[in-house]
Amino acid sequence: MTEAYDVEFVERGDRNIRFLVRGVTPAFANGIRRAMVADVPTMAIDEVRFIENSSVMFDEQLALRLGLVPLTTPPEGEFAEDDVVTLSIDVEGPGTAYSGDLVTSDDLVRPADENVPIIKLKDGQRLEAEADAVLDRGKDHAKHQGGVAVGYRHLQRVTVGEDISEFEEQEAQIIRGVIEDDGELVLTSEFDHDLSERYPGKEVHVEDVPGAFVFHVETDGSFDATDLVTRAVDTIDSRAADLEEAVQL
Amino acid sequence: MELRVTESSENELSIEIVGEDHTFMNVLKGALLEHEDVTAATYDMNPEQSGGQTEPILTIKTDGVDPLDALEDAAGDVREKAGAFRDAFEAAKAA
Repeated sequence: MTEAYDVEFVERGDRNIRFLVRGVTPAFANGIRRAMVADVPTMAIDEVRFIENSSVMFDEQLALRLGLVPLTTPPEGEFAEDDVVTLSIDVEGPGTAYSGDLVTSDDLVRPADENVPIIKLKDGQRLEAEADAVLDRGKDHAKHQGGVAVGYRHLQRVTVGEDISEFEEQEAQIIRGVIEDDGELVLTSEFDHDLSERYPGKEVHVEDVPGAFVFHVETDGSFDATDLVTRAVDTIDSRAADLEEAVQL
Repeated sequence: MELRVTESSENELSIEIVGEDHTFMNVLKGALLEHEDVTAATYDMNPEQSGGQTEPILTIKTDGVDPLDALEDAAGDVREKAGAFRDAFEAAKAA
């Protein structure tokens, strides 16, 4: 069985991509989506040692907030499951402690964004703590979820029909995602998601293209969105390899 | 990956696949159903409350081949799919 997949990028940023895959089964598409959400490991703070916390929040509350700060995750193979990276924070009020105040001991793992507020400190209040970041999967805790908005839709093929009758008022026809118009891929946001904007005075017909899915992938900054996709595919691959091996025994 | 055979005969197999969820099981089931000699393939995920049985159980019925061989083939097919997908994705990324 030889699979012929065809991938084409529609939008491409660091944290945000949209791409079309042809020739994929719904089961496999959903497997990749689920793997991106729950199975790709990312770094996140898991244990915090407070040296001083005279802020208005309890240690536990701050520990949760620190845990939710997205950290960059090094390339596959750089870190093992139970490796620990220590980050420290020392902020004195008045002012706000931001994720950017976290000082890392390993430059591969640092806050993905500098401007996540952790807590506001009043005059004389102080937060000093050490935190250990570990690698884990979204399945175990949402803070380890690399993909924050991951989904797919069918590619929709639009065919233009007859003119609508002269005395008929055209109704808005709202669709979302990506359409295929004469082999050209067009984002629906280009025409305000309304087909009557793009084809005024025409009847249009919309159908799903079988086996063609448009994925939209957005990450929290742990890694590039393209990395998330390849790592998700790798987790499926490695599980299939495990199974193959287990069956042979 | 730990496997536990719960029922086995010449053309039928029920097997527990420890530690997996819908993510992998559905992909695997999909691959099994594409196999010519597999007449039926399904999996059952149980909720936590179902009397301690929480691992997914995969059931395969085949026609003329050992279901275990079919499972091995399907695992290979999933790997092939994953590889093909990765290649296609990398090619598009580089373009």
